[in-house]
Amino acid sequence: MLADFQQALSDITASPALCRALRADPTVLRDRYALTEREAARLCAIAAHPGMNAACTVYRMNRLAPLAMNLRGTLRALGPALRRTIDAYWVDHPRGHAHFYVESCRFADWLAQGIAAGLAVPEAVPGELARETTLVRTALAASCTEDADR
Amino acid sequence: MVARPRVGLLHNPTTSALLAHAGALVEHVSAMPERLWFDFGSQAPRGRRFHRAHAAIDELKAALDGPPSRSFAGHGLGLSLPSAMTLDEDMVDAVAAMTRRLGGCSWYSEHLNLFLTPKGGVPNAQAGLGLPVVYDEESFALIAAKLARLRDAVGCRVLLENGSFFTPVPDLDLSEPEFLNRLHREGHCGTLLDLHNLLVNERNGGTPMADYVAELDLDAVEEVHLAGGDDEEGFYMDSHSTPTPEVVWALAFDVLPRCRHLRAITFEYQESYFEDIGLAALTRELERMHVLAEACARDDVPEAAQAEAADAR
Repeated sequence: MLADFQQALSDITASPALCRALRADPTVLRDRYALTEREAARLCAIAAHPGMNAACTVYRMNRLAPLAMNLRGTLRALGPALRRTIDAYWVDHPRGHAHFYVESCRFADWLAQGIAAGLAVPEAVPGELARETTLVRTALAASCTEDADR
Repeated sequence: MVARPRVGLLHNPTTSALLAHAGALVEHVSAMPERLWFDFGSQAPRGRRFHRAHAAIDELKAALDGPPSRSFAGHGLGLSLPSAMTLDEDMVDAVAAMTRRLGGCSWYSEHLNLFLTPKGGVPNAQAGLGLPVVYDEESFALIAAKLARLRDAVGCRVLLENGSFFTPVPDLDLSEPEFLNRLHREGHCGTLLDLHNLLVNERNGGTPMADYVAELDLDAVEEVHLAGGDDEEGFYMDSHSTPTPEVVWALAFDVLPRCRHLRAITFEYQESYFEDIGLAALTRELERMHVLAEACARDDVPEAAQAEAADAR
């Protein structure tokens, strides 16, 4: 069915691991989605297309964009730990938020909770995170203007 | 009456600087409603989801008021019309409210790409990423119904823009031009032809630009987008980071004079590349767009159609 095809297409774009799994095993989607044979074949062809690497890369760039804009110092302080940190965040929050300040605050809260629970991060991260969280919270509050016209 | 399409820009936070430098060259402005509000999401209490971005709205109003006053079109990204989901009615209402607040728009366009799915979707930011659409009867019925609702809400003509993507869907019932042609033929919408998207698709292994245009009903084309991109790890990105490439200009000068209902030629650039592109290059881009618009001048167009375009707000 179309909704499941679209969801599967979105998921293999968001998850290089799922995309690689589909390339290796064309039946990997069958238990997760209700697909016709034609839809399943289309997804296999898309996963094998050279452009899929670019699609997965651009997905990550775009998903990272709000954090890069609003929490630049924190991301820089994470250094080599950024990739695994972001991957873990996206597992917990598979859907990004359209409001960049909301998305940034959500990541900041998630990371702060992780650090409090013992997540190992470079020494500079907690300070940068605290400083930038204050700024992004202020920006978020300022974006909460009066309601739009109905 | 001799008429020609207007020369325009997609509005962004650097547009005011460009207008201060070369405002006389800009006759039309398109703007994305999603950049004029803060969307707190469907979890927000009803009636408290969309909050106006006052500074952006004021900048856009100033750009429209001129001088010279400019025609205006809305250019949305957030409705994701091809999604197999119900239409986001709250966003449709917000789009309608925003266009009313700006005095109405001459036309409203959306993208023929998939951005939302029931449990996810793909974000569209700097480099642009929309997922490809399955062109078949089911998608046609889905999109046609949503276009009718959108048209009623915004109270003006609606256009759909051809998509850019990295991975075409194989084994389709219809090609994208056939799909757009049918939407136009059956009165659902017109076409916004993004020539740079055609280059993106061609460079990444999709349909050659010339083949695509040969299949498209040029009478459906009412707006054209120009833009530039860049290469990244072997792929060509729709990053809106450069002036329009020469190959796109060549196609534009070949094709646009045959688009009898063309109302505007709009250049898109991403504001983070404003300094890199520079005012001088942006001005040259606008000047060349005027040459292109003159090449499209025609005297066989009913005055009413032109008046509709000119009657901006």
